[in-house]
Amino acid sequence: MEYHLLLLSDRYPMYRFILKRLFLLLPVLLGVSLLVFAIMSFTPGDPAQLILGESAPAEAVAELREEMGLNDPFIVRYASFVGNAITGDLGRSYSTGREVFGEIASRFPNTLTLATLGVLIAIVIGVPVGIISATRQYSLIDSSSMVVALLGVSMPNFWLGLMLILVFSVNLGWLPSGGFSDWSSVILPALTLGTGSAAIITRMTRSSMLEVIRQDYIRTARAKGVAENVVINRHALKNALIPVITVIGLQFGYLLGGAVLTETVYSWPGVGRMMVDAIRQKDTPTVLGTVVFLAAAFSLVNLAVDILYGFIDPRIKSQYK
Amino acid sequence: MKYSAKTAIAVALTALLAGCGGQEETAQVRDTLIVAQGADAKTLDPHATNDQPSARVAAQIYNQLLTIDADMNVIPDLAVSWESVDANTTVFKLRQGVKFHNGEELKASDVKFTLDRMIDSPTVAHIAGTIKTVDVIDDYTIKITTHQPFGPLLYHLTHTASSILSEKAVTEAGDNYGQQPVGTGPYKFADWAAGDSISLTVNGEYFDGVQEIPNVTFRNIIEGTNRTIALETGEVDVAYDIEPIDKDTVRNHENLQLLEGESLSINYFGFNTRKKPFGDVRVRQAIGYAVNSQDIIDAVVMGSGIPTNSSISTRVFGHSPEAYKYSQDYEKARQLMVEAGYADGFKTTIWTNDNPVRVQIAQVLQAQLRKINIDMAIEVVEWGAFLDGISRGEHDTYLFGWVTVTGDADYGLYPLYHSSAHGGAGNRSFYTDTKMDQMLDAARESVNVEERKALYSDIQIQLQKELPHYPIYVGIQNVGLKKDVKGFQLSPAGHHKLKGVDFES
Repeated sequence: MEYHLLLLSDRYPMYRFILKRLFLLLPVLLGVSLLVFAIMSFTPGDPAQLILGESAPAEAVAELREEMGLNDPFIVRYASFVGNAITGDLGRSYSTGREVFGEIASRFPNTLTLATLGVLIAIVIGVPVGIISATRQYSLIDSSSMVVALLGVSMPNFWLGLMLILVFSVNLGWLPSGGFSDWSSVILPALTLGTGSAAIITRMTRSSMLEVIRQDYIRTARAKGVAENVVINRHALKNALIPVITVIGLQFGYLLGGAVLTETVYSWPGVGRMMVDAIRQKDTPTVLGTVVFLAAAFSLVNLAVDILYGFIDPRIKSQYK
Repeated sequence: MKYSAKTAIAVALTALLAGCGGQEETAQVRDTLIVAQGADAKTLDPHATNDQPSARVAAQIYNQLLTIDADMNVIPDLAVSWESVDANTTVFKLRQGVKFHNGEELKASDVKFTLDRMIDSPTVAHIAGTIKTVDVIDDYTIKITTHQPFGPLLYHLTHTASSILSEKAVTEAGDNYGQQPVGTGPYKFADWAAGDSISLTVNGEYFDGVQEIPNVTFRNIIEGTNRTIALETGEVDVAYDIEPIDKDTVRNHENLQLLEGESLSINYFGFNTRKKPFGDVRVRQAIGYAVNSQDIIDAVVMGSGIPTNSSISTRVFGHSPEAYKYSQDYEKARQLMVEAGYADGFKTTIWTNDNPVRVQIAQVLQAQLRKINIDMAIEVVEWGAFLDGISRGEHDTYLFGWVTVTGDADYGLYPLYHSSAHGGAGNRSFYTDTKMDQMLDAARESVNVEERKALYSDIQIQLQKELPHYPIYVGIQNVGLKKDVKGFQLSPAGHHKLKGVDFES
């Protein structure tokens, strides 16, 4: 399999590019895990005490520390983590005793669903509104959509989440207020998440579009009498999309790991909340597992964005090495 | 681009419609009691955790040898009778014909296996107390021997950590037992969507009668306000721990009701007696007269607390009404400060973790103590660092809480005031008094109920004179429920048993 891929990589620079990026992922993950492990180890707070709670006797805490291997030196603990992680074993959570990998695997689909839907909503709103704003700069529609976008960027997610719950769950009774029961329960969290991203994407699309439509080749196209919608959709949009896709990619990566507030407001069982709960508990294996996993996911999303550039702009594709 | 936008809208709309349909269906069938609490259970292995959310689920799956009724009396559960052979030995007769959820019959060997496993678990061994050996006499008789006479033994055996497990089920499941628990209780484990919900189904062979409601689901709704919202929208039938600010909403709602009751938890203001000037009992008493608990309760927890005269709740075995209850009296307080040589007051600090309730309590205390010229700075410390710091005695004064989980005074007083428990073991005031140690030891080792009551009364009277802690208030717990949920009883320990709960038809 590997040989096959390498052979492919000679003929297709794209594959070599992907392979190279995947290899680069390793030092990134190693660095991230070392950093997190060090932070978890050297900050105050005793995981054993946190597990046992404030009404637990000291001997019990000491015994649990020993059993958890917390008295071993830092290097020993980190090395054993890396050794196990290579074989796919991220250890068991200090607080639940579950396998960290299994728990991430069971929660990741929830996170992915939410982030994907959130980004979809953001794209569906953000890109068209951005284009319309740019093509009608300083019009009423432009000004009002920019005001709405500014509101969208500034509005805290937890507040928006509560407002949506108030309207759609409490007053109208259309949608559940939280949890993960069926598809109706994903709508409000996805809307909450999507709004902030939509605002960012709108602003990005608008400014990128404005830059492109002032270029000479657009003027040429118009001078040649090409219909305005063709000028915008075919000539301008393609070039304007590169920075927009970068932002969409970043937003998607951010939503995968950073949706904690939304996940909390809607009691959504995602990976982001799992990570924050684990940090509070000083549950090192879970923190490490989730952070490494989210870092990998973020890197892969960025890789996908880079690959996507090539499809939109052939000039970029030819630069892959 | 246009195409993908249309598709996305179509997908979203389809999802919306499908979702709404699904909701209507679930609303029509009423075969599941949905209970909301603020956190997911950690594990359903009672020996692997000691947290409330887990205990609340485990309480439906398991039974203990003994249990506590609503008045905190010890009553039979899996053990039908027990007898003290001597001060160190108690023999229990087991109920016959009890089946575990895996079909195995409960035998004395399971009880021995369970208690031995409990003693080996660092997480809950302290709840096993001083149990030394567990011997099987026959299939339905078990003998428990303690290292020394241990008065609170029966209470310790009622704790959820003392739930009786099936030896076969534990051995078969190995490390994954916490996710596939097997008990003898009214409901059996069905499914766990980690972070979201736990589903239980009725145990058709329950020894004490089969429950009316076929399924119970514990949902994890972290935000307090959202639990109230879920009650209002009808998504859940029962919600634990309604936020103080939402209590009136639930009380005044036409379809909802609020149950409230005294819990086993207390919040206290502790003094590091090893540091000046808190080594002086007059200074501690002066503070006792300067503080007004009711103000704190009204301002910070909106009435969800009761001013108290003890470090244990009135629901705990051994609580004494005789102990002195401080009430605000600035004159007395100032006079005591003068006697102690602090007429002009002094500067000090109070440590608290970043829990907003505790930070606000610290602010009220700060204002109250200013009246007697005590200038108290508030230090808000991250939880882990807070526990470390106060266990090492770096603090002057601190805010802390304690839950007498066993329901017996020993658990609430011994760790807090015995000199052998300085620091992390519980005595973070570093209070040292030989007479107090002797009384605590005597009360722990006595197996005579009346003698223990008298000893604990003396202990609490003495503690209120000495005041190493000022007990601020006993917590009031609450549960919000739909009006048509009948038969729900609060457990003072907080892990309410759903046995006997039914929908009104």
